[in-house]
Amino acid sequence: MAILSTLLSYLSSHPSPLRLPQTSQYLSQQAPIFLSSSDSSKDTQETWIVYEQLLLSCLRTGDDASAKLCLERLSDRFGRDSPRISALVGLYEEAAAKDVRELESVLKGYQDILKEDPTNMPIEKRHIALLASLNRTEDAIKALTALLNHSPNDAESWSQLSSLYYTQGMYPQAIFCLEEVLLILPNAYNMFARLGEINYISAQGTNMDGLIESVKHFARSVELCEWYLRGWYGLKLVTGKILELNRADKAGGIERKKIEALNEMATKKLAEIVGKANRRERGWGGFDEAEVEAAKALVDSSDVKTVR
Amino acid sequence: MASVQEQTILRDPQLFYWILFPITIVMVLTGILRHYATVLMQSAPQKQDIRAIREQRNLLHGIALRTNLNQLSLSSFTARKNYLVAAYNRGEFLKDQENKGKPPANPMTDPAGMDQMMNMLKGNMAMMVPQTLIMGWINAFFSGFVIMKLPFPLTIRFKSMLQSGVMTRDMDVRWVSSLSWYFLNLFGLRPVFSFILGNDNAADQMAAQMGGMNPAAGAGMFAPGQDPHKMFLAEAENLEVVGGQHEWVLDGVIERLLAAHN
Repeated sequence: MAILSTLLSYLSSHPSPLRLPQTSQYLSQQAPIFLSSSDSSKDTQETWIVYEQLLLSCLRTGDDASAKLCLERLSDRFGRDSPRISALVGLYEEAAAKDVRELESVLKGYQDILKEDPTNMPIEKRHIALLASLNRTEDAIKALTALLNHSPNDAESWSQLSSLYYTQGMYPQAIFCLEEVLLILPNAYNMFARLGEINYISAQGTNMDGLIESVKHFARSVELCEWYLRGWYGLKLVTGKILELNRADKAGGIERKKIEALNEMATKKLAEIVGKANRRERGWGGFDEAEVEAAKALVDSSDVKTVR
Repeated sequence: MASVQEQTILRDPQLFYWILFPITIVMVLTGILRHYATVLMQSAPQKQDIRAIREQRNLLHGIALRTNLNQLSLSSFTARKNYLVAAYNRGEFLKDQENKGKPPANPMTDPAGMDQMMNMLKGNMAMMVPQTLIMGWINAFFSGFVIMKLPFPLTIRFKSMLQSGVMTRDMDVRWVSSLSWYFLNLFGLRPVFSFILGNDNAADQMAAQMGGMNPAAGAGMFAPGQDPHKMFLAEAENLEVVGGQHEWVLDGVIERLLAAHN
C-alpha cells in the first residue's frame, strides 16, 4: 500500500496521535519515508493534513530535521503569512529554542504579530500556551480572558483557562469555565467528570453539599458514556467518602440507600472494566493503563474494607 | 401489419468528426478554462475586524446559553443570563457603539457588501461570457446540421429539445441537431468536470446557478443591512423568556442512573 493511504488510515483510526507517545512515535518514524516518497508531492487536502500531523509528531519525538522539512513544504505551499502556518512556524521555533532567552524572543515575535493583526487566533493561542509553559500563569490567564472576551464560543480556550485556574487553586473560577464548555458542548461527558473532580477537590472531603454536587456530575458523566473509567472511578471514590462521613439516613438531601447503590454499581462497573482491560479483550484496548491500574487499586482497597 | 418505416438520412460521416467532437472538446476545454479563470479572479476572503468578530461571537455566546441552558444549575444560569442581558441591552459588544440607535447603513455603500457583489458579478461574468461566445460560434458555423441519431426511440415532446435549430416537422425525434448537442453538453458534462477538476470546481453550471440563487448563505449571520443592535435586543429578550423554562439535567440524575442499570 502506498505510504499516503497507510498514513491516512492510521490517522483515521487514531484521530489524535499526540495523545499517546506510541502513536506519535509511529508517525514520526513514518515521516522520513513519506517525505522521500512520491506521494509527498501530491497537492491534495489529505496530503497537507498528513504533513501537519507529521510535523507535530516529529516535534514531539525530537526529529527536528523531518519537522523542518515538513514545515518548509507547508510554508512553500501556503505561504508563511497564513495564520495556521505561522502558528506552526512558531511551534517549531519554540521546540528548537535552546534556553529561556530564545523562548522569550519567540514570545516577543508573537506579540509583534498580534499587534499587527489581532484577529490571528492560532498565534494568539500559541502566545498563551508559551506563557503558560514559561510558568507565567497570571499573564496566561490574562491573555486567555482577553481572547475569550472576543471569542466566548471557543471551548478549547475555556477548558484551558479552567485548568490554569485549577492550578492556582481558584476552584469556583475553574468550575465556571468548565460550565462554559458545557454550554458549547452539552454532551461532553469528560467535562462533567472533570466538574465532578473539581467539585470534590474544592469540597476538601468535608463539605457535604460539594460532595453531593460532585456525585451528580459523575453520575451525569457515566449516564452519557457508559464505559467512562474516570466517571465511574470518581463516582466510587466520592460515594465512598460520603458513606464514610455520614452515618445518617440522609446525606445532603439524598437517601443513604441510593448512595450505597451508586457505590455498588460503580464498583461493579470498575471491576468489569479492569477485568476486560487486563484480559485485553477486543474493543477494550482504549483505556489508559495507569488509569486502569488506579481503578484496580481502588476496587481492591474497598474489597479489603468490606471483608474487614 | 405494416412495420414502421425507419427514417434514413444520408449523413456524411465526416460530420461526426468535424462537428460532434469539436463541440464536445471545446465545451470541456472552456469548462476547465472557466474553472481556472474563476479561481484566479477570486479575491482573497476579506479579513474581519476584531470588533466585528467580537460582536458576532458574543451573540453566539448568548445563543449557546439559550440552547444549552439545562446543562447549568439555576444559579449559574441566572448569573450568566443577567450579565448577558445587561450587556446586550447596553450594546456593549457592538462593533460601532456610536451608531447604536441609527438606521442601518445602505448596503450599497457598505464596502464589505460591495466586495461581495463584485465577487458575484465576476462569477456571473465568467459563466455568461464563454456561454455566449460558444453559442455564437455554433450558430455561425454549425447551425442546421443533423449530427447523430440516438439509438433509442423518443416521444414527440423531445423534439424541441433535441432538434433546436432544425425546423423540420416530420423528422424523427431521434435525430439530434448540433445546437442541441451543445445544450446536452452544457448540462451533461458535470461528471466529466468533477472527474478532471475535483468536486468543488467552478466549471459546474449547476453549482454556479444554485449559488446565484442564494448569495446570502455564505455571508455569515450579519448580512449587510441588518442592525446588530436589534439582534442583540432580540437575543436578550429570548434569554429572559427561556429563563422561565430552566430544568437542570443534573436534577434526578442519580435516580435515572439507578433505574437505567437495574
